[in-house]
Amino acid sequence: MNVTTGVVLAAGEGTRMRPLTHDRPKTMLPAADRPVLEHVLDVLVDCGLERIRLVVGYERDRVQEHFGHAHRDVPLTYVRQRKQLGSGHALQQAAGAVEPPVLVLNGDRVIGEDVVAGVLEAFDGRPTVGALEHPEPSKYGAVRVDDGRLTELVERPDDGDYRLINAGVYAFDERVFDAADRTARRDGELQLPDVIGTLMDDGEVRAVRTDGLWGDATYPWDLLYLNRELLARERVDRPRREEAVWVADSARVHGTATLQPPVVVGPDVEVAAGAVVGPNVTVGRNGTVGANVTLRNAVLDADCRVGDGATLADCVAGRKVAVGVGSAVVGGPGDVHVEGRVFEDRALGAVLADRATVGGGVTVAPGTLVGADATVGDGVFLSGTVADGAEVVR
Amino acid sequence: MCGIIGCVGCGDETLSTLMHGLSKLEYRGYDSAGVALVGSGGLRVDKTAGEIAALESSVADRDDLSGTVGVGHTRWSTHGPPTDDNAHPHRDCAGRVAVVHNGIIENYRELRDELSASGHTFDSDTDTEVVPHLVEAGLDAGNDPERAFRDAVARLEGSYALACVVEGTEAVLVARNDSPLVLGIDDDATYLASDVPAFRAFTDRVVYLEDGDVARLTPAGWSVTGADGRPREPAVETVEWDAEDTGKSGYDHFMLKEIHEQPRALRQCLRGRVDELGGDVTLEELDDLAVDRAHLVAAGTSYHAAVYGARLLRADGVPAQAFLSHEYAVAPPPMEDATVVGVSQSGETADTLAATRTARRRGAETLALTNTVGSTMARECDHVCYIRSGPEIGVAATKTFAGQQTALNLLSQRLADGPVDRELLAALRDLPGDVQAVLDGTDAEAVAETYLDAEAYFFIGRALQQAVAMEGALKMKEITYRHAEGFAAGELKHGTLALVTPDTPVVAAVTGDDEAARKTVGSIKEVEARGAPVVAVTDGRADVERYVDHVLEIPETHPRTAAILANVQLQLLAYHTAAKLGRPVDKPRNLAKSVTVE
Repeated sequence: MNVTTGVVLAAGEGTRMRPLTHDRPKTMLPAADRPVLEHVLDVLVDCGLERIRLVVGYERDRVQEHFGHAHRDVPLTYVRQRKQLGSGHALQQAAGAVEPPVLVLNGDRVIGEDVVAGVLEAFDGRPTVGALEHPEPSKYGAVRVDDGRLTELVERPDDGDYRLINAGVYAFDERVFDAADRTARRDGELQLPDVIGTLMDDGEVRAVRTDGLWGDATYPWDLLYLNRELLARERVDRPRREEAVWVADSARVHGTATLQPPVVVGPDVEVAAGAVVGPNVTVGRNGTVGANVTLRNAVLDADCRVGDGATLADCVAGRKVAVGVGSAVVGGPGDVHVEGRVFEDRALGAVLADRATVGGGVTVAPGTLVGADATVGDGVFLSGTVADGAEVVR
Repeated sequence: MCGIIGCVGCGDETLSTLMHGLSKLEYRGYDSAGVALVGSGGLRVDKTAGEIAALESSVADRDDLSGTVGVGHTRWSTHGPPTDDNAHPHRDCAGRVAVVHNGIIENYRELRDELSASGHTFDSDTDTEVVPHLVEAGLDAGNDPERAFRDAVARLEGSYALACVVEGTEAVLVARNDSPLVLGIDDDATYLASDVPAFRAFTDRVVYLEDGDVARLTPAGWSVTGADGRPREPAVETVEWDAEDTGKSGYDHFMLKEIHEQPRALRQCLRGRVDELGGDVTLEELDDLAVDRAHLVAAGTSYHAAVYGARLLRADGVPAQAFLSHEYAVAPPPMEDATVVGVSQSGETADTLAATRTARRRGAETLALTNTVGSTMARECDHVCYIRSGPEIGVAATKTFAGQQTALNLLSQRLADGPVDRELLAALRDLPGDVQAVLDGTDAEAVAETYLDAEAYFFIGRALQQAVAMEGALKMKEITYRHAEGFAAGELKHGTLALVTPDTPVVAAVTGDDEAARKTVGSIKEVEARGAPVVAVTDGRADVERYVDHVLEIPETHPRTAAILANVQLQLLAYHTAAKLGRPVDKPRNLAKSVTVE
């Protein structure tokens, strides 16, 4: 059965990505040189879908402004989820606006084309779920499959007796909307896996084993992992200068700067003399990299400004972050606090959220999170978490 | 101030092609619309007063409306009120000829009297209707349709983009003089329109017609004859805009979409032009330009950009002055070897074209600062600098004003005698991100809500912020239909202060902490004393928060870019006010996007 319509759920904020999601949904965070969601749309277009409907909500302007009315000539339309009450609720918003059958997936994961193609191919009118082998099923939705049939779907199971996870890629006919209406909300939210549960009660749900890239962006350090994976797989949309070195035409890189592959330099970027950029670095558009700067395992979103002699290692920087002369993000591993939990020994030097301004001569300890619009004065030794808009002085 | 469309070679899709084109041209005017088709059933016309939607429902009821060639029109009244009769297409007495027209035929009274005397009867009050009757007269005299059309066009004085269909002839005849007209070339079909978006969904290959051109479009192809009557082979160009660029992309209005597009539009404007580390500004297209003195001519929003630009140039040591183009055309100042800079988003603004033409006649070098590649102004002027904002559909200019301001900064740095201002280059590179920060953090919607019932809005600013104050007021009155005035803050106590009451919010743009800012704070205290609520647009450096009721914040930056950022807040204030009042934000009454009549 031929599916031509895609529904992409891109309305949630992604609270575990805070403070990077201060002004944008996590689907718009950078995975290499493009937002996560752009990789998702690329896959849908490559798989031949003819219409894509995006469910948007939190900071939806960012999504709409970036993608506009079409992605690679495939029409995009938007439907608004006013309150973010779960992925099932998000799909309900698209009901009536799309002609089933539909392919449904989350906009916050970078997935391989094979995963989507596998689900599209297996779909025969009955609800179909993509499954995928994963080393840590206990962190995701674990599934059991018996002869192409989904027999069990458990969110974050405690025991380790699972090998497959729910890839979060689904094909549905019109029955899904009715099933969603009949599914009870939990804690006020309606999640897609619960809707799948209703469909399983109603009859058969198919599951198809797929294979390929599946990169979840849940925590800030995931962005560094995604960057490395995407560069290694050469999923970069910039002119290739040499093996694993991509430099946009409008970028200016000084002759004495060194680009160590893999590395991506975006449009309008300026890299000054003596800078060493890479490996595993993406400098987003319009960034300014000062003289003798060192960047290693880092993702810098658009408009960042790194002062002369600064070093950023294992670092995620949001938009328009400024780092002063001679400052150092020394690199992981470090302990990171996310939503009240401590994650130990993560390979994260620091997260600098949108428009954070770090002065000159600042030393940033591993695992530090600096909030959006925060200001850090000259010469500070920084560790822990800096709140949005806070000012830190020595 | 209308839009025309036509097509041949579209077969059964002719009507839907015309309707699609009209919907894309609706921004040019929208008080009536109509179509004419010629097919085996003869010439069929349907037209109606109101928006395109009214025509859509009307054509849906007409099963006889078919044909293989056709023309269409969306109108914004210049002669005669918006009625069904005055809507285009217009026909001759016998109903064999139908014509659509954009522009003004200045000698239509004489022609009408002459035609009436020889027995023609007129249905409408429009200037256009003389054209089908002139063609009819030619047909009656035994001429073929093309000859009759050429003879008719030769009689016309004024500005026109004309398209004509004649019963029994599978062709569209086209003529251009002083009004925009472009052909769209596809393998099997040929289109014509006032503007590219009308047919951009079908083809990206276009031919820009010149004044005096007459073209004939048939299923076999197209041909153009120049003003001298000889065949011409104009170049076929490729446009880069994506058809989907003109969609609303999930926003309630084009205006809001375009406000949010500003970071991207400014990146485009700056791309490849600013080298911060090298300390250089390049405007490739202006390599050979040298300016001793500049006259900037413009109207409406573009005039406010011109006022801003003239200040920049003067500060950089280039004597410069901004003029309203419609005044400049009729009462030009001494030229003194000035380079005349026409500022126009569309490059088709008739008033500004008149000014640059006046300047050319007087021997001045001319420069077009425009958003539209291939526009009349871009082709007529000696030099052209593009602002690269992308298509703008909302009648109220937003991203193109920011684009004009940004391009004028580049131009001023390029023309300045001294070294470039490195701080400004850094600020310009930060500008797209700073605009994004304003969009992310704005409180304009809440402020708009607070003052929804205001009697009037006053906008004040000094120095560079004066232009911003004027533009803020224009935006407000254009789309909210509320009274608004913008002026230099120092003028307040010389008159307008008499109007200031607790029901008239005063919006003050105060950035930096220089003398201008301190004096504007003084002006704020004056209105505060009269009980008027004050909204400050500020970077926080002038310490103005203590005297005002609301603050709309912008990031700290260079004074020149501060004026670009402050304007973004005022755009949002006007937009949210209009949206909350339920105004048709993208198509305010009585206004049209590109003003192609004088």
